[in-house]
Amino acid sequence: MRSYLALVWAVARKDFLVEFRTHERLTSMGAFVVLIGVLFNFAIDTAVVRPQALAAALIWLTIIFAGMLGMGRTFRLEEQDGALTGILQSPIPLDALYLGKVLGNFILLSVTVLLVFGVFTMFFSLRFSGNPAMLFGVVTLGVFGFVSLTTLFSAMATRSSMGESLLPVLIFPLLVPVVVFGTTATDRLFAGRPVAEVSGNLRILGAFAIVFTIAGAWLFRFVIEE
Amino acid sequence: MSQTQTRWAVGILGTLGVATVIVLHWMVFFWVPTESTMGIVQRIFYIHVPAWWVAFLGFGLVGLCSAVYLWLGDERLDRAAVTGAEAGMVFTTIGLLTGPLWGRVAWGTWWAWEPRLTLALLLWFIYLGYFLVRRSTVNPEQGKRLAAVVGVIGVLDIPLIHVSVTWLRSLHPEAVILNAEAPMSLDGSMGATIGVGLLAFTFLFASLFLARYTVAGYEYQLTLRDAASGGTQGVGV
Repeated sequence: MRSYLALVWAVARKDFLVEFRTHERLTSMGAFVVLIGVLFNFAIDTAVVRPQALAAALIWLTIIFAGMLGMGRTFRLEEQDGALTGILQSPIPLDALYLGKVLGNFILLSVTVLLVFGVFTMFFSLRFSGNPAMLFGVVTLGVFGFVSLTTLFSAMATRSSMGESLLPVLIFPLLVPVVVFGTTATDRLFAGRPVAEVSGNLRILGAFAIVFTIAGAWLFRFVIEE
Repeated sequence: MSQTQTRWAVGILGTLGVATVIVLHWMVFFWVPTESTMGIVQRIFYIHVPAWWVAFLGFGLVGLCSAVYLWLGDERLDRAAVTGAEAGMVFTTIGLLTGPLWGRVAWGTWWAWEPRLTLALLLWFIYLGYFLVRRSTVNPEQGKRLAAVVGVIGVLDIPLIHVSVTWLRSLHPEAVILNAEAPMSLDGSMGATIGVGLLAFTFLFASLFLARYTVAGYEYQLTLRDAASGGTQGVGV
């Protein structure tokens, strides 16, 4: 068990180190987040619509679009250098490889999510009056579910001639539970509603994350093998 | 089944299907009484509900066959899965077209974010993804595996999507003026018409399924023959 976790961590750590040195994905996701905030500012007439009322929707859609941008490139580096063949020939179990990639992506996207909240709070002067621990739980579970699904489909995109253009068609319909329960919970927390109103959302987001992490770990081998 | 037996089976099931569809239309237009609250537009349900029944049958087959295909690697299961997906797609389209026709009259709008309607649209897109992935690989075997993965993920996600869209409705009760199934108390003749509808569509589904499954088998044999003779790759199903 310990050596299995060490393998998972080795994959995540490698991705993290590469990212730390190249800043490739974080730069593109970070720039996307700031720029989309700027565009939203021009697109939304704040005299008509209060940004506070739209906050949850804007935040979650930005997380998802930024996530697609970054997560879609999960296997890009390995693919370019033929390194994927090397990893597949190494004795690492494929589910550990998948979980490592999920963990790496999760850390990466979590950093971006912090930026999303920071930028949007600043740009739109959002006020948060809810329970921060609950918001943390909602976002963490939602992002984890999103990442577990996107990592699997990103592997699929590397094996397909359509590449990343395949991702939105495949992922958007499947992401409906994350969008529905993530946005409504965030919306209620921003409005300072009681914690009991979002505990159901938290459970479904948790179920989504668990189901697709387990399913992804099993299905990954069928996607990545040539 | 031999080739002749399959032809007979497809022929018999298809004839039964077409015959019952004709009977169904006669019943819908001339026999069954008009529903008191919704009026004449309610008759679309005798086509709509059976279309959904077989669409779900098709998608159930996709999920089941895909999972077992990944597990056992049996070609026939993949053929059954793609056949189920194609039939499911056809009947989902029928459901998606007849639903708004009814909605225009009953709800006064072509589209409402009614849970079943939303779920149907999402299902349609999930299986669009299934076909896109299937055709997007150089190696057809890999395309089959990728599609099976989409099939399994799709089936796992459907209950969660269902919970989401149903739960959202409780936030927006005004979106639903009429519940699609609950308010109809079926009288005997209506029950009979729905019964014939279900039977008709099941026959149609079975004959389409068998025919398409057989064709998929031929296509596979063609691919094998082409590969053996060193020729170009055959049709990827």
